[in-house]
Amino acid sequence: MEVRLNEYADGTLADRDRAGVEAHLAECAGCRAAVAQLRDLVAGARTLPRSVEPGRDLWSGIATRIAKGETGSGTRWIRVALAAAAVIVIALGLYRLLPTSTDLDRPAPGWVAVDADFDRATVELTRILATQRDRLSPETVALLERNLQVIDRAIAESRAALARDSGAANTELRELVAAAARQKVELLRWAARLAES
Amino acid sequence: MHSDPTDLIGRAQRGDRAAFEALYRAHVGRVYALCLRLTADAAQAEERTQDAFVRAWERLGSFRRESAFATWLYRLTVNEVLRRRRSERRREQRVVGTDDPEAFERPGDGTAGAMGVDLERAVAALPAGAREVFVLHDVEGYRHEEIAKLTGVAVGTSKAQLFRARRLLRKVLNR
Repeated sequence: MEVRLNEYADGTLADRDRAGVEAHLAECAGCRAAVAQLRDLVAGARTLPRSVEPGRDLWSGIATRIAKGETGSGTRWIRVALAAAAVIVIALGLYRLLPTSTDLDRPAPGWVAVDADFDRATVELTRILATQRDRLSPETVALLERNLQVIDRAIAESRAALARDSGAANTELRELVAAAARQKVELLRWAARLAES
Repeated sequence: MHSDPTDLIGRAQRGDRAAFEALYRAHVGRVYALCLRLTADAAQAEERTQDAFVRAWERLGSFRRESAFATWLYRLTVNEVLRRRRSERRREQRVVGTDDPEAFERPGDGTAGAMGVDLERAVAALPAGAREVFVLHDVEGYRHEEIAKLTGVAVGTSKAQLFRARRLLRKVLNR
């Protein structure tokens, strides 16, 4: 009976059951009182204050967390992105330490194809991310773009260095391009995964 | 073309923190009230309020104006509170939260007679599951189908929790 009285008080009782409940209420003072109490309770709940000010200002804590880019899953993402960027920075550092007169090998037969594969993966992931990027916070998008710029610069510098070498056979430079491209693909993959989560 | 400077949501979506702070100022009372009623704990409510606004900033890009911003924000808040409670429930027993409403009678409150126990306090004393459904349904006006989605329980369970909450409240308020 409790379920029916609640549904009756809420006005959600099925039509076929209403007449039976009303007949019972006509004879049962206890259930009539229960319905009256339920209605009072619901009416009281609806009139509770909609707004309660917190005892202290909470904005400073929020602002700090936003500034740090702290989020639930986003925290992990940002750490990963920063780690990826750090790898690239290290790669850039190594590149700059390379002697310009390094002996060059002939390009490995698969290099051009590998380079093209990275380009295709990058284009595809960028396209996917473009459709999802509005699901990321503005801070995350800004961070992503900053890290992509770092990686793109690394790739561009490494490729330019390769282009300057007529033989284009510098193994270390190719490895740097490949490492940066891998980081870019992984960064885009993580961003796309985050946007889809 | 310049954007409307009063469009706080649009500006916040473009990363304007001052606009987001204005949105916070406009909605914090409502969000805090929701968190306070769902958690029945002022310190937790403050934390969840902050979590909700940080989450809102994070997810602002996904707000597409298909609903009112307030509706989107409050739903996000409910999600955040319930998500945190699910993860914490495994680790700790709540200090309050029991099936026996008498356990919440506070010593030293001798002036509170049967009718002196106000609804707000009685709601805070409810077991967590019953309290959440009562707050969402009777205070916030969510339907059982929505509550079931938000809390991850069946519609029947949501109804059972609501009726249980009402039974406990009636018992306390009419004592």
